[in-house]
Amino acid sequence: MTTSAPVHRIGRKAAALATSLLLGTGAGLAFAPTAVAADAGNTLRMPITGIGIDSLNPFLAYFAGSLDVFAGIYPALDTVQQDGTVKPYLADSWTTSSDKLTWTFKIHKGLKWSDGKPITAEDAAWTFNLIMSNSTAATANGSLVSNFASVTAPDDTTLVVKTKKPQATMLSVSIPVSGIPIVPKHIWESHVKDLKSYKNDSFPIVGYGPWTLTDYKPEQYAKFDANKDFLLGAPKYGHMIEQSFKNTDAAVAALRSGQLDYVSGLNPIQYQALKGQSGVKAYEQVGNRWSGIEVNGGARTRDGKKIGTGHPALGDIKVREALARAIDRATIVKKVRNGLAEVGGSYLPQSLPQYAWQPSDAEKFGYDPAKANAVLDEAGYKKGSDGVRVDPKSKRKLEFRLGIHSDDDGDAKVSTYLAGWFKEIGVKVDIQSMSSAKLNADLAKGDWDILMDSWSTGPDPTYLLGIQTCSALPDSKGEGGSTDSFFCDKDYDNLFLRQQSAFDDKERADLLRQMQAILYKANENIMIYNASGLAAYRTDRVSGIVDGTANSAGAYPAQDSFHQYLNATPAKSASSSSGGNSGTLIGASAAAVVVLAAGGVFLARRRSSSDDRE
Amino acid sequence: MADTIDAIGAVTAEPAASRGGRRPGSGFARYLATKLVAAAVSFLATLVIGFVLFSLMPADPVQSITRGRPTSDAQMAQLRKQLGLDQSVPERFFHFVTDTLSGHLGNSWEFQQPVSSLIGDRLWPTLLLMGTATAISVVLGLWLGIRSGWKHGSWLDRIATGASLTLWSVPTFWLGMILLITFSVGIGPIPGFLPAGGMSDPAITGGLDHVLDVAKHLVLPCLTMVLVIFAQYVAVMRSSIIDELGSPYLLTARAKGLRDDDVRRRHAVPNALLPSVTMIFMHLGTVLGGAITVETVYSWPGLGQLSYQALKVPDLPLLQGTFIVFSASVILMNLLADVIYRFLDPRVRAQ
Repeated sequence: MTTSAPVHRIGRKAAALATSLLLGTGAGLAFAPTAVAADAGNTLRMPITGIGIDSLNPFLAYFAGSLDVFAGIYPALDTVQQDGTVKPYLADSWTTSSDKLTWTFKIHKGLKWSDGKPITAEDAAWTFNLIMSNSTAATANGSLVSNFASVTAPDDTTLVVKTKKPQATMLSVSIPVSGIPIVPKHIWESHVKDLKSYKNDSFPIVGYGPWTLTDYKPEQYAKFDANKDFLLGAPKYGHMIEQSFKNTDAAVAALRSGQLDYVSGLNPIQYQALKGQSGVKAYEQVGNRWSGIEVNGGARTRDGKKIGTGHPALGDIKVREALARAIDRATIVKKVRNGLAEVGGSYLPQSLPQYAWQPSDAEKFGYDPAKANAVLDEAGYKKGSDGVRVDPKSKRKLEFRLGIHSDDDGDAKVSTYLAGWFKEIGVKVDIQSMSSAKLNADLAKGDWDILMDSWSTGPDPTYLLGIQTCSALPDSKGEGGSTDSFFCDKDYDNLFLRQQSAFDDKERADLLRQMQAILYKANENIMIYNASGLAAYRTDRVSGIVDGTANSAGAYPAQDSFHQYLNATPAKSASSSSGGNSGTLIGASAAAVVVLAAGGVFLARRRSSSDDRE
Repeated sequence: MADTIDAIGAVTAEPAASRGGRRPGSGFARYLATKLVAAAVSFLATLVIGFVLFSLMPADPVQSITRGRPTSDAQMAQLRKQLGLDQSVPERFFHFVTDTLSGHLGNSWEFQQPVSSLIGDRLWPTLLLMGTATAISVVLGLWLGIRSGWKHGSWLDRIATGASLTLWSVPTFWLGMILLITFSVGIGPIPGFLPAGGMSDPAITGGLDHVLDVAKHLVLPCLTMVLVIFAQYVAVMRSSIIDELGSPYLLTARAKGLRDDDVRRRHAVPNALLPSVTMIFMHLGTVLGGAITVETVYSWPGLGQLSYQALKVPDLPLLQGTFIVFSASVILMNLLADVIYRFLDPRVRAQ
């Protein structure tokens, strides 16, 4: 019976270890808040945008978090402001030749990279040329230079870009967030060979922008120091910290407890909870996103070969019209988005008011189940004994698969409403909840009937409109392609090409509206709502987060991170926010006491029983 | 695994009579060799299963990765080529097996980085969280289980069993959110004092401050884990103690005039410990997998979250990499458990 002793000893050691861990933690509680207090007022605390940062290498990265970081640490030729107007950045001015094929940018003199070397036109030319000539460098931004014929830097302050065809979107090729970040040639030259594996993680990263990236830990944080000489105005904070939050509920908690100064991407419930909170301003941004359904009107390849398993009846424009008329968009806005959205119609969201389009009353496919039923009756879709209509051609029932995103509770809610409304017009749907990966895979193969989907856009809508062109269909092998609804229309494509070389803003806007009218009539992309962006910040810590004037509905202009980080100003009370911290300190001490007391009781209990132990 | 179950069965059937003394002799080398071979075979089998499983996943990762960004056909084709998606399944399998056996886990599609370095980055946070939580759960669970089982029906037993089972059946995510709101935001007069997420405050640098800060960030996720998992130890330990209660050898011990406390500690506990040891090792095997829900609630940068993210794209090399690491840790812990049984329990030695 000797072996029980070691077991016992181990048990006691483990107990001691656990106690010391608890005590250590208790001590931690007491110490840490003071460290935060010392730093308050000079550090802007933001969440990492979107699903995070995939890479710090600007030639490879796709995720919103990365693009957000690059916007802060690498320069761009120009910048688009929230009102849609273009403003100089690295380039002070630009001119276009009469044939619209040559662009000459004048680069600002005297700017320096964060290591002191001068920023010249050669840096920009080198960056663009690398993306044009090296397929690895083109991973992320290749499409932005696909129309470029040559880029040269005849001198330090002149950059000349020649395009193959006139390109009206030239000024969005290199803008913060969604354009090409310009990198220092002298740093990156030596990494061309290992570009694919180069992580760009020696800090501080040599760049130029409002911020310098001084530290980064994957899935944890990115730390920045302000560039006090920044051309467009220095940030009002000395430092910025972006922290990773994997769920918005935790981010909201972090905002409320002072770990973050700002959160975005809130859902209506979180938004309304924060709305009434003192010291917090919760506000709506004009939506830059559409949410709706896509209808598989006949999946096919670029050369017209049919693919996939879509229901043939959906190829009938009358069926699609009936579906569009069966949806009560206002109810969804009210019930699912708590009123924090606008009824959908225009393919382009309201954040692009200069391009957005709305159907006239005569064109509108509004909620009208009677009309929807009449349309189907007229087209020969008779109801069977079970109330489900039958396609006279294929003899198949109008039973459609409705794909929804399993990780989106909005999808789940909306689809339940849709199923009910569709039933009223003799259409049955089978709601299939899938991962985004599965949904996208089915979509590419054409193995779907109806999908719930959502897209957002930056300041230039070319890409969003581009996914509806015939060239976005998959190739003859059924591969590639970036289409969403397999939409393909010659008139639409012609307009798309024309808008690319329309240099007159009004002319371009007119073309974009015509394109949206075509999309609307086809009913392959049925818009349901445009959700407002929902965000909140702490008024006791930061001001200037929201810029611009709210519209009549009280929603502010959507603002990208780049401008937001420049506008953010420490609130006056921020430096004296010790009240909150002393509260924290009291709480921390209380917790430490509780833990100590618990530890004490535990030890006392052990001692009291120790006489009858050995 | 088979041995693990045998061990549980054997223990409850008959108590270990005597221990120590005899050291494992030459039989041990053979025993170890068979266990090693079995572990290697299991590992190879998991490699194959893992590959087949993930290759069947229907998805075009290129579309997932590039969605919402302007990408030309050429770019997408290039990306597919870079990711090796243009290779046939047998080709990919060949590369996967040879790479794995030579210690390379490939390159993540999503992060464009070696999988091994991504896993390496997340290993420490996961070990810290899961290790601490498991250690506390084991100590707390076993202690409560022994006390409750020895005097089952007592107030301590009723409270411990009730509380642990209640906490065990509470959804982890929900419990996490409740703790988060209570201790981080604060409710009513209780001010929040613990961080809502992350592993450390980036503003705090330097040795001790940083360590204390990490400890502070550890409290809530660790507490959530402990509250959820300690119940298993309470339950298993309690029931094995109860099983021992009526045993003749305990009667003998008592008849010799030993104190109740000694009977419990020196006779009952060692014999009742084996199922719990099994569970500890099985738990340790899954420790690396992290806890996706807890890591998500508290934005803890661990392996669970990494594999979840990989699943969303899906990032095949990363999925396979994490799968290999998880399987290997389970296999390794089972192997260790097998070896340790040989020292703990003479009946395993006799096999």
